[in-house]
Amino acid sequence: MKYQSQAVAKPYFIAAIGLFVGQIVFGLIMGLQYVVGDFLFPAIPFNVARMVHTNLLIVWLLFGFMGAAYYLIPEESERELYSPKLAMLMFWIFLIAGAVTILGYLFVPYAKLAEMTGNDLLATMGREFLEQPLPTKVGIVIVALAMLFNLSMTVLRGRKTAINLVMLLGLWGLAIFFLFSFYNPANLVKDKFYWWWVVHLWVEGVWELIMGAMLAFVLIKVTGVDREVIEKWLYVIIAMALITGLIGMGHHYYWIGTPSYWQWWGSVFSALEPIPFFMMTLFAFNMVNRRRREHPNKAAVLWALGTGVMAFLGAGVWGFLHTLAPVNFYTHGSQITAAHGHMAFYGAYVMVVITMISYTMPLMRGRAANSKTAQVVEMWSFWLMTVAMVFITLFLTAAGTLQIWLQRIAAEPMGFMAAQDQVALFYWMREISGLVFFVGLVLYITSFFIKGKEAPAD
Amino acid sequence: MSGVPARASPAVQAEALYLINLLLVPGLAFLLLLLLFRRHRNSTDPLVRGHVRQTVAASLLAGLLLAGGPALMVLAGDLSRPGVWIGMVLYFVCCHGTLVLLGVFGLARALAGKPFSYPLLGRYA
Repeated sequence: MKYQSQAVAKPYFIAAIGLFVGQIVFGLIMGLQYVVGDFLFPAIPFNVARMVHTNLLIVWLLFGFMGAAYYLIPEESERELYSPKLAMLMFWIFLIAGAVTILGYLFVPYAKLAEMTGNDLLATMGREFLEQPLPTKVGIVIVALAMLFNLSMTVLRGRKTAINLVMLLGLWGLAIFFLFSFYNPANLVKDKFYWWWVVHLWVEGVWELIMGAMLAFVLIKVTGVDREVIEKWLYVIIAMALITGLIGMGHHYYWIGTPSYWQWWGSVFSALEPIPFFMMTLFAFNMVNRRRREHPNKAAVLWALGTGVMAFLGAGVWGFLHTLAPVNFYTHGSQITAAHGHMAFYGAYVMVVITMISYTMPLMRGRAANSKTAQVVEMWSFWLMTVAMVFITLFLTAAGTLQIWLQRIAAEPMGFMAAQDQVALFYWMREISGLVFFVGLVLYITSFFIKGKEAPAD
Repeated sequence: MSGVPARASPAVQAEALYLINLLLVPGLAFLLLLLLFRRHRNSTDPLVRGHVRQTVAASLLAGLLLAGGPALMVLAGDLSRPGVWIGMVLYFVCCHGTLVLLGVFGLARALAGKPFSYPLLGRYA
């Protein structure tokens, strides 16, 4: 660790991992509720488990991005963070706000929560992924703006590199597009239209910039390849991400009441959306093949390579699978979407955050890499979680295909719940894969506590 | 950096054509790959020879797997049964995705001036 203030990343990463555990626990609860509908009812109804599962994912990834930014930007800018105190203050505000929100979901009926938190003043709640009460949304904006002020001041006073500028651009985009969560028009078409400006423009837009910057940063460190080479790749990748991702948003506009030209725009541009992920895979493997040093942190290299592969498969291949309008006509809103969502989030964002944690945590603990034993355990966790996620995706794809057949193709189409009964076997298999994933996560956490002979810091 | 080929190296071109054949223009890209193969299959440079030969063999194998697998399922199975569709969707997506990923690994190796052997093909170089 070159700058003391980079250490503020550590609590962010610890909180991220803690919330990741919560996300998976609620995923397992919900996965079981798919097949045992009364499980934990009425204490944790399905809709609440789902809300907690998805909201925890978003919040822990945000913690991960923030931690990564607080580590990466001082190092790239070659100076201390503008205000480590402000970063720590924002950490506690975000953590407390996040925890209170989750407790609110769990212990207060949602309608009551809306009433208690001023939703009648400005109605923003009740929409998928944006369920947070108004004060939480305002808190997210405050935390994001304070972070951006802190990081922008650091970059303005320090060295400007492609990596810190792309990271900063991604984070500014994240904050700006979140503002659309406050716009909730009464017209349902307009509501969904702008809802995607948060959801799509995050995950298929600005988050890709954040991901590209994080991957490039780690690859420079672990491969020793010239910065110029890596930065050229980064420019092309983010250009492709923005060119394809912005208009590719049209794939969400096929059937929501928008003009039919979106079926063409959405199909053509979103068919190109795998390109940046394809390039990220090529980029990661090319850099590792051209490496000039053998970094002792093998686990971080594995996570970096895995990010490329899994992001390409989850976001690229499984995204393309159902993105063309004539295909989406049948697959829309089925378990095919869930299959894509699981692998894409894991491959693109979970893995890149873990890559960053894997690379930086040993440095923040005073060593270049963890002991061999700790790394072996971490690599086991990589394979367990990754293979489990592949199987989760395959089982959900099978469930989705059967669901589409039964509900939308069969001569006598079934109703939604009747079809759900027929795909239960795949849900059971998904749940078992989920348990394997959880074992992988437990191993991942265990790896932080394994001692041994560590590689000294440079 | 020594040992790294120029971007237009036949090794890189062969890997790129293998991927284009799988992703963009199947058939036409394979014909171009065959032309490249004719010109460089006996190249004195083992790197070029290896990549050109491997990609042609891998393309043939890919064609067999992507066309043969679903064809077998259609012939042996009953298309009015959803199970056949589940098998076909999973088979095609996994098979195609894996073949593309192998191409990415091959292209990354070619760009770095290193050899690459596709699985199942052995060291045909």
